[in-house]
Amino acid sequence: MDKNSAAALYKKMQTEVEAYQGLQKSCVKVVKQRAMLESQLNENKCVLDELNLLGADNKVYKLFGPVLVKQELEDSRQNVGKRIEYISKELNSSNNTLESMEKDMHKHREAVSKYQQQWQVAAAMK
Amino acid sequence: MAGTANSSAKSEVIDLTKLSPDQLMQIKQEFDQEMSNIQDSLSTLHGCKAKYAGSKEALEAFQPDWENRQILVPLTSSMYVPGRIKDLNNFVIDIGTGYYIEKDLEGSKDYFKRRVEYVQEQIEKIEKIHMQKARFLNSVMGVLEVKQAAAVKMIQQQQQQQQPKQTA
Repeated sequence: MDKNSAAALYKKMQTEVEAYQGLQKSCVKVVKQRAMLESQLNENKCVLDELNLLGADNKVYKLFGPVLVKQELEDSRQNVGKRIEYISKELNSSNNTLESMEKDMHKHREAVSKYQQQWQVAAAMK
Repeated sequence: MAGTANSSAKSEVIDLTKLSPDQLMQIKQEFDQEMSNIQDSLSTLHGCKAKYAGSKEALEAFQPDWENRQILVPLTSSMYVPGRIKDLNNFVIDIGTGYYIEKDLEGSKDYFKRRVEYVQEQIEKIEKIHMQKARFLNSVMGVLEVKQAAAVKMIQQQQQQQQPKQTA
């Protein structure tokens, strides 16, 4: 293998590795985000469960900054329900991004191992 | 890792002995990571449970004849002002995401009881998963050791085969 093609192969490999590492980093970020969404979803579900257990004579407050503001029970239920819907949607979309990221990562990994093989073959022939 | 829930489910079907040592190492690393995550969640859950149980105990100490009883209310962790208990049968509980509800003594106790039970359930679930993962990790380690031993043996055999040639 002459020097030029070796350099070219090395460069290709390098770009693939870099792309892979970049993806890995953003993957970690998305995973963190997803974990956060999951915990929020869980918390909201707990709140909704609790609100559903309440009767009409229980008072509900919501914390705005340092102030507790009285809320209508039915409004709170609807609010929390909406929030759960929204978070579920976000969770779904982050799941999808994660899936496509993993596919991309797999592609890059395969490309890297392909180049490594080429490299080894070329080195063996020398 | 993100896909671990899926990939681990898949890899339990895959015959471990057919994987390369590199792949096994990768699986092992992923699982080690997961195990430490699980440990973290478990300790968080135990902390939560202790908090709920603490609130519950505080409520159980409440007596119905405590109306107008004098107490010290903490302003900071080291400064208190005297106060009196009024409205003994009304507690405001933080149920999360900024929502607070008013409940009577019995209802509040019930709330914390349910919370403790809920957290306990979660702990048990996670402990089960933890055990499964530990078992799987063990089998991965076992296969890995067998493979490594086989590799060492192969190298030794190669060396032995080469040596007589060299002497001859």
